[in-house]
Amino acid sequence: MSTSAAATNDDNKKVTLKSCDDVEFKVEIPVASRSILLKNMIEDVGETDQSIPLPNVNEKVLKKVLEWCQHHVNDPQPTNDDDDSRRRNTEIDDWDQRFLSVEQDMLFEIILAANYLDIKPLLDIGCKTVANMIKGKSPEEIRSTFNIVNDFTPEEEEQIRKENEWAEDR
Amino acid sequence: MDSGKLSLGQVVKQTLTSQPSQNTLAKAATIPSELIFQIFKYVTSTSDLKSCILVCKSWCRCGVELLWQKPVFTGNASLIKLLVTLSRNTQTFPYALLIRRLNFSFLGENVSDQILQRLSSCERLERLTLGGCRRLTDNGLLKLLDKANGLVALDVSDIENLTDAVVELVGERCRRLQGLNVSLCKKVSDKGILAVASRCRGLRRIKLSSCENITDESVVVLAKNCSHLLELDLTNCHQITNEAIQPVFENCTQLRELRLACCTNLTDKSFTKTMSALYEQLRILDLTSCALITDQTLLKISHSAPRLRNLVLAKCGNITDEGVCHITRLGKHLHYLHLGHCSRITDYSITQLARNCTRLRYLDLACCTQLTDASVFELSQLPKLRRIGLVKCALITDQAIYTLIENRVVQHTLERVHLSYCVNLTVPAVLELVNSCFRLTHLSLTGVPAFLRSDVQQFCRQPPKEFTPHQRQVFCVFSGKGVKELKQYLNMVIVQQRNRNTGGVGDTNDQVVRPSAVAGADIEESLASEAEGVGGEISESGEGENENGYNQNNDRNSNLVIDGNHEGDDGFVGF
Repeated sequence: MSTSAAATNDDNKKVTLKSCDDVEFKVEIPVASRSILLKNMIEDVGETDQSIPLPNVNEKVLKKVLEWCQHHVNDPQPTNDDDDSRRRNTEIDDWDQRFLSVEQDMLFEIILAANYLDIKPLLDIGCKTVANMIKGKSPEEIRSTFNIVNDFTPEEEEQIRKENEWAEDR
Repeated sequence: MDSGKLSLGQVVKQTLTSQPSQNTLAKAATIPSELIFQIFKYVTSTSDLKSCILVCKSWCRCGVELLWQKPVFTGNASLIKLLVTLSRNTQTFPYALLIRRLNFSFLGENVSDQILQRLSSCERLERLTLGGCRRLTDNGLLKLLDKANGLVALDVSDIENLTDAVVELVGERCRRLQGLNVSLCKKVSDKGILAVASRCRGLRRIKLSSCENITDESVVVLAKNCSHLLELDLTNCHQITNEAIQPVFENCTQLRELRLACCTNLTDKSFTKTMSALYEQLRILDLTSCALITDQTLLKISHSAPRLRNLVLAKCGNITDEGVCHITRLGKHLHYLHLGHCSRITDYSITQLARNCTRLRYLDLACCTQLTDASVFELSQLPKLRRIGLVKCALITDQAIYTLIENRVVQHTLERVHLSYCVNLTVPAVLELVNSCFRLTHLSLTGVPAFLRSDVQQFCRQPPKEFTPHQRQVFCVFSGKGVKELKQYLNMVIVQQRNRNTGGVGDTNDQVVRPSAVAGADIEESLASEAEGVGGEISESGEGENENGYNQNNDRNSNLVIDGNHEGDDGFVGF
């Protein structure tokens, strides 16, 4: 995590990322390339000693995201056309489940970072994890789980409830 | 379509405006709506999604579109509630415009014209599935379709009142149509189909099964205008001739699925003279009862459609060993083959087939009466064989069953075995089969004398309603739980029998219990009494199974076709 002033040839395959709170991470290119944003940047810029600033991600989150990228470095790149199949599968593998057993704020930070960095598989499991937290809960329970303020007027809420009364599970 | 979605999104966004809260909120409340939307895509239960939209305004805006795009109904009551919402004067969202897909096929006859009329404000419908809603008439459909300019897929199969007027309107309005299913709409004629064929150039799938008025004219125009056709179903379109098939092969080289069952006019000419290109996408070809075709067609097909996966040749009585040997060229691509009633074929070609098409999963050889245990021996080597149909292969003996299970692979793959009217089979062999194939969920033994006994038949399922008393008497099909119960029962009987033997004669080494010992004397009587039924015309309507081979989406159609055929010899039917 020090600066790359003394870069050697061995470091050729690494790239330096800088979090919004100015912490630098030296990362192997295949690991960083799990992020499509970084992959494209690295391809555009070519070899460089300069660090890539990531103004939307802080140290704590970036460290976490890079841990995921490291673990999944050999996964096949996701294709665009299997969107639906990913959606149907609500399973999350064990390692990922443990990885996402974090405080709720961190979970959302990871989702935001995965979205910003364009890491689809990570975004998916993040979203699935949140979706699982919603399962079986009433609106009030969901609000308290996520600490969300109900901004409906009672009339608005009642109307929406009525309009959507048809929606039941089979 | 995209621009439509955008403007709709804007409409939705404007509907509920929320003030950003001043409080420092939890992270969840600061998540941008695109991401909330992403999350909601994984909320698969309708009632969970309903809870989500009641959480807060921003969640509501994100969730409401997902909730309404494909409304799922639990029954009539929930449909009525939805209609009530649509008829409200003040609605929080333009709900009707959010609806993209409607599927009423499971509500069947509960769907009325009035219901469709109340849905006519759903102007952005993309997929409409009304198959089997038999009470519907043109009135409801004309109203609903009048504004459905964006319709991509329409299934109105089995609505017998439907006429050309609806199909013509579809041609007029729905220029983006890609899929049309009018199977069993017997009033539909060339007039309607020509309207669609001449305007909906992007058509990819069209099912005209049992539209008996359809002539070559419709098919010719379809083929010439809709060169992107992937699926064409002309089952039971009796008027179709070679003239219609020629332009199909000339223009629709992307064809994936072609069903020509019971197009009895077709001859070799349909194929040998016209398949000029390579049809690499063709996976499914159904030629059931195209009785005029010969081995020449199979020679052509095996070259021109090298990746054919499902081939149905049931009741193509001219097919000989030579034709089946041509098919073997398809090799590992062939997964499903129906040769029922191709009674000329012998062990020779089945041997070739088993050695070349090693990935066969489904094979029906019903009424291939020349086949012997030698064929079954070869088939037992197939590593993926899941279903085998040997109905009325009367030469088959217990030896065939023993060879089948000797191969350890088949023991792990076999799920459905059809042995009706294999009159030589005995209880011990069949028990051996049931004991070793642990995946077995279906076993048919209709008309097998050794099983015509009430103690065994108590585990078989109910015969179809339309069966005659005689057919009921010989009916013997075990499925699901029935297979397990049969297995337990027969094993118990065997043990009892063995105990009795050891008690009496003391012959403990005798592992195989002879059939006579198990069956008892009264069985011999039924054997005699059933003998006349076996192989006679009555037994043709055997078990009347109505499951289909591979096309899960097509349940209803295939069932009806079967009913029409009244074939039902326990094959894999489905056509």
